[in-house]
Amino acid sequence: MFEQVFFSGLALGSIYGLVALGFAVIFKATDVFNFAQGMFVVCGAYFAVTAMSILQLPFPLAIVFIVGAAALLGVLIHMVLIQPLSGRPMLSVIMLTIALSISLRSIIEMVFGPQGRSLTTPLPTGVLMLGSVRISYLHLTAALVSWVCMAGFGLFFKFTSVGLLMRASADNHEAAVVSGVNVNTMNRLAWGIGSTLAAVGGLFLGQLQIASTELEGIGLLALPAVVIGGMQSIPGAIVGGLLVGIIEQMASTYISPKSSDIVIYVLLLLILMVRPWGLFGQRELGRV
Amino acid sequence: MSSVLDIQHLSVAYNRKGLALEDVSLQVPEGGIVALLGANGAGKSTLIRAVTGLLGLHHGQITGGQVHMMGQLVSGMPAHRLVRLGMGQVPEGRLVFKQLSVEDNLLVGAAVLPRAQVKAGLEAVYQLFPRLLERRNQAAGWMSGGEQQMLALGRAMIAKPKLLLVDELSLGLAPLIVIEIYKQLRVIGATMGTAILIVEQNAHLALSFAQSAYLLQQGRVVLSGSAQEVSASPEMKASYLGEAKSGKVAP
Amino acid sequence: MNKTVNTVPNLSTWLWLLLWAAILAYLPVLLTERAFFGIALTNKQLLNLGLTQINLMLISMLGALSLNYLTGCAGLISIGHAAFFATGAMAAAIFDHQLGMPFPLVLLAAALAGALTGTLAGLPSLRVRGLYFVLSTLAVHYVVTYVFLEYQFKYFDVVGIPYATPRIGAFEINTPVRWYVLLLPLVILVYLGLKASLKSREGRAMLAMRDHELAATAMGVDVRILRLKAFGLSSAIASVAGALFAYYLSNVTSEAFNINFAIQFIAMIIIGGMGSLPGALVGAAIWLLLPSIIAGLSPDASSENELLSRLLVENRAQLVQLIFSVLVIVFLIFAPGGVAGLSTRLKNRWMAWRNSP
Repeated sequence: MFEQVFFSGLALGSIYGLVALGFAVIFKATDVFNFAQGMFVVCGAYFAVTAMSILQLPFPLAIVFIVGAAALLGVLIHMVLIQPLSGRPMLSVIMLTIALSISLRSIIEMVFGPQGRSLTTPLPTGVLMLGSVRISYLHLTAALVSWVCMAGFGLFFKFTSVGLLMRASADNHEAAVVSGVNVNTMNRLAWGIGSTLAAVGGLFLGQLQIASTELEGIGLLALPAVVIGGMQSIPGAIVGGLLVGIIEQMASTYISPKSSDIVIYVLLLLILMVRPWGLFGQRELGRV
Repeated sequence: MSSVLDIQHLSVAYNRKGLALEDVSLQVPEGGIVALLGANGAGKSTLIRAVTGLLGLHHGQITGGQVHMMGQLVSGMPAHRLVRLGMGQVPEGRLVFKQLSVEDNLLVGAAVLPRAQVKAGLEAVYQLFPRLLERRNQAAGWMSGGEQQMLALGRAMIAKPKLLLVDELSLGLAPLIVIEIYKQLRVIGATMGTAILIVEQNAHLALSFAQSAYLLQQGRVVLSGSAQEVSASPEMKASYLGEAKSGKVAP
Repeated sequence: MNKTVNTVPNLSTWLWLLLWAAILAYLPVLLTERAFFGIALTNKQLLNLGLTQINLMLISMLGALSLNYLTGCAGLISIGHAAFFATGAMAAAIFDHQLGMPFPLVLLAAALAGALTGTLAGLPSLRVRGLYFVLSTLAVHYVVTYVFLEYQFKYFDVVGIPYATPRIGAFEINTPVRWYVLLLPLVILVYLGLKASLKSREGRAMLAMRDHELAATAMGVDVRILRLKAFGLSSAIASVAGALFAYYLSNVTSEAFNINFAIQFIAMIIIGGMGSLPGALVGAAIWLLLPSIIAGLSPDASSENELLSRLLVENRAQLVQLIFSVLVIVFLIFAPGGVAGLSTRLKNRWMAWRNSP
């Protein structure tokens, strides 16, 4: 039984890791704590619904649609909302992303109705037996795709020249400007990537559960994941996501379903009190 | 002789309040080395920001005049475009990418070059600053001030700029290091024909290095001419209270 | 912060106060009788407002004032404000149902419970600042609402926790007018109290701390204690508001205090203007009253147009949410000082115009 819970946790955690990674990319690039990341997950699920059920696109094309729509959403949001607020105090930016998430939620509920929509895709369902452990194909696929995306991003970030420019912009905004980097483009790219990663997570979560605005709560778990892993650390975000997934499943099974949220947030509080820079982050200088 | 940098009657204000620069005109000839002098608050940083496209970042606006680089109107252009047009910047405070390696720092500067030229560009910089080659894989944040200054210079030079703007090179550095770096600057100017505009608080150092100089006082150019003329002028001595008589290490 | 030069004679101020007192006194009559001195008014003319909305607005004002005090004045960003409302509701349940204490003492207990919870919630501020602190308030929110949830399920049921009609002595508060008479003076008291607190030595130190912590510390201000005090006071007020909210609705579940509830207060203080106590009142008023006004306007518009009908009737709740979130965004981008900031700018322009030759 334990292995069961562990593997479910690992699978879900991979999805959380993906969403958390998107969150970390946005944060590292633009210093924005994106409370709307949960809604980006929901948008992903609904883009999938649109592509599959409404537009009836063949699956490969649907993927292109979802990725394209999500990337466009992220870029537009940066251009229209985030860029004008650069340099403003933190509460303004936090509140902006919160207000954004409410706007997105309202629009989705007005267009699709407040009830959730089921999402059917050609992704494999069914169950694989590994010894005594039942692993659903869907979980496995979700985990695999998440890992491929995360690895892909990691390679992009570390080894391509665009990735280098993104890292430079995140390191020191003014230095990047002075070196000829178009920082605005880098920031838009970061938001595009951040929302796309979340949307992919939404695609899987939408099918694992149901495409509804309730998914936002799950997406928001990316926040404690990123903090626990370490806010300034890209690998930290991924590990944080995995941990949150595992802990959530464990708490849900061994304590009670309702307690999973709170266990994570208590852990968050503990980390904040004891090691605020997270498990993999580095101590920031000058807290005052 | 055409100017690489031509500033005509430039006026700048911050947040639409009062002029930080008033009617400033300045030219940097091809292959020339020009010093911009003035006490703290005289407007040197403002002028550099206006030229390098960083004014907006600091809530400033150009309220009058124009800036031309190699005949092209550049006032108001965003900074990253200026770099592509051939303006290299070595900003005040060095501004290296602390978490990136030395080589990565240089590669960022080389991003404007076509792929094929990047390797040659790197080698050229390493030849100029062998210490950077030693530390090529180290994180820039751990290097000494002098090494970071070399890195910032290398990063700007790798793109083979036509105009190099060096802002407060000597701040926080030991005199010997400063002299060494200025020597390299001279080499750069001579071999690559890059025009250089240096902003320096250390007037003696700047004047011994530059061919011509401008003195800013409260946002206006109060003096300009060849380095010797400016050195000997009474305004120079008055502007830097007490510094005129004190002995400085001659390069 | 700024000393306003009194160019306006005192008579004018007194007249304003008198006018407001008259309006506030007559308001319940107007809304209950639905007539202005005998002239009957339609629902639309009354902007579709009833005393219920006004009472809820007054309760929200307590929330907005306390949050603005914490965030706008002390500079402590908190998205856990709902937790303190929940604390008050829970304290009310415990002290009323289970311990059978009289209503006024219940409110006092709620205040104390809130102060305690608030001080505890403020403890992370000793360790972390800025963004990390905001996250700690989020965590506090989840912890407290979880406790409330467990309490609700242990002692009551999924339907919620019921609250009896409150009484002060023999006087039952069972009509909207009576609620109004209870709530209005309370709001005024809290407003004046917070205002006085900000003018006091400690209050001004707090404002200094918000604006520049290092400078405040250098002046000898113990910022850590100040922060805890601010949190305690703010939470105490919110807790009382939570208790009143619970009594007013006569039944609450933990859902009532979800994260959206907390976000509403942040929206109120942003629209009203952070750091401005009058702004908090305006923000709460707009937030509570506007939906009713919109709902009141919609029947005519929707009968003609099908799309409008869909928007205004079926999806009205979402539409209101959308309007409000967009309103907040617009304010954030274009008018960061909120309504208070706008009114200051207008006032300055008017003064300049008046004083120009």
